Amino acid sequence: MLRYLRLYANCLRFSFSKALEFRLDFFFRVVMDCAFYAVQLAFFAVLYRHTALLAGWNFDQVLVFVAGFLVVDGLHMSLFSNNMWWFPIYVNRGDFDYYLVRPASALFFVGFREFAANSFLNLVIASGILAWALARYPEPLGFGTVLVYLALLVNGTMLYWVLQMCAIIPVFWLHSARGLLDSFWAAGQMIGRPDKIFRGVARTLLVTALPFSLIASVPAHVVFEGLSLERLAHVLGVTALAFAFMVWFFRRGLRAYSSASS
Amino acid sequence: MTPRLFLSTFGIETRKLMSYRVDFWLSAVIGFVVHVAIAFFLWRAIFDASGSERVGGYDFESMVLYYVLVSLFGKVVRGPEFPSDVSQDIYEGGLSRYLVYPTNYFLFRYAQHLGNLAPALVQLALFGTLCPIVLAVPDGFAPGFGAIAGTAAALLVGNALHYLLMLPVQLVAFWADNVWSLAVMMRLVAMLLGGFLVPLSLFPGGAEEAARFLPFPYLFHFPVEIVMGRLSPLAWAEGMGIALAWCGVLALVSSAVWQRGKLVYSGVGI
Repeated sequence: MLRYLRLYANCLRFSFSKALEFRLDFFFRVVMDCAFYAVQLAFFAVLYRHTALLAGWNFDQVLVFVAGFLVVDGLHMSLFSNNMWWFPIYVNRGDFDYYLVRPASALFFVGFREFAANSFLNLVIASGILAWALARYPEPLGFGTVLVYLALLVNGTMLYWVLQMCAIIPVFWLHSARGLLDSFWAAGQMIGRPDKIFRGVARTLLVTALPFSLIASVPAHVVFEGLSLERLAHVLGVTALAFAFMVWFFRRGLRAYSSASS
Repeated sequence: MTPRLFLSTFGIETRKLMSYRVDFWLSAVIGFVVHVAIAFFLWRAIFDASGSERVGGYDFESMVLYYVLVSLFGKVVRGPEFPSDVSQDIYEGGLSRYLVYPTNYFLFRYAQHLGNLAPALVQLALFGTLCPIVLAVPDGFAPGFGAIAGTAAALLVGNALHYLLMLPVQLVAFWADNVWSLAVMMRLVAMLLGGFLVPLSLFPGGAEEAARFLPFPYLFHFPVEIVMGRLSPLAWAEGMGIALAWCGVLALVSSAVWQRGKLVYSGVGI
């Protein structure tokens, strides 16, 4: 474990120095993410001009949810987005060989090698938006509640990564993961919508087999309704199952990998 | 550029895109179904909570139809998700070979861009036929020849406008290493102010009025409003005039940036 932490510290150092070499790109990425945050907030602001409640949430509550979603997005962009961009390219070009011969877990390198330092600033901005949304929330919020919420958002980020990995891993068998990734991004829009707007089979799917709602929406319920053991077990259980499936799927993929011909 | 070369370039791009059929159908079906499904559930929740029959001038069926149309038309207007050919040419130095070709670089790239639209047109025809069978069509929705022709013209202008909006952003590559973030930012702004995320009639009065003078509504909102019969012929002519004027302005801006950029282009990539 300590060895991996040391390895990650080196990856971080390398990523920061690399990001600072491309200063204009650094600035563009910050502006892009700020535009994304503004669009998300404006979208709900427009909707709430026409309704007082959305899926049982008022505007103050939806702000907390959206801010939580932005933090998850910021964490994902900082920790995983660059790595997920390169993963299918490495497999197609045969560069994945270099990960396999290193004396460390290939999955660790696939997921964590590059830290997007330019998105880190946006994570700070998203955290500020979350702090603002929580501060303006009219009901009193306990420190413990906020702490559990933040922990569930971190868990949601991991789940987001796991789901994205599941969408990319088929690249070991297919020539291109483009279609699956596009589908993932399309389905990923559901992360930014309150879970209770969905009904019937769609809702069941979104909290079980395709658990997009467990990433940001279900954690927000903890802030408004308090933590129940059942909800915690549900979120953590699904995450653990999804992670186990992803690891198994990744290992199957490795067996199918045949260097540059993949 | 001769029409024959233009058509040939168009054909090659179409065939290239259709060569990964699984990718194409996965992106097409899942992307469309998810977009419409989210809109369906979101607006069902809003209509139920507000208790109103109409929101922003739309009843529930019209609202779902709006999202079906905006999703299909959006693909035709945008083409490929993030066209980066121009910026890549500049960044990698590949632009050099086009500079010595006896053809206009931008027309060549636009022909390629149009070639990428064929799949979107297939989706428009396919889902446009299937949707009335699966979803409830609002009463009175029966676009005539005039509305369809007006929409086709608006889509054509919308496509050119989108291309011209993205072009100056791509040309920033003369000075920057990576303009992908700028293109995404432009796309996000266009989605909000163009009525892709919510119809513009839901915006506060002043914002809706101001948006009309920006290029963005003519990408998504305008063609949908025409086919839904919500615009008079006069409003159509006015909208087309504004969209074409923006095309002219953006072409001038692109030309100016291109002229300045060529002066710093090294020919070997950054």
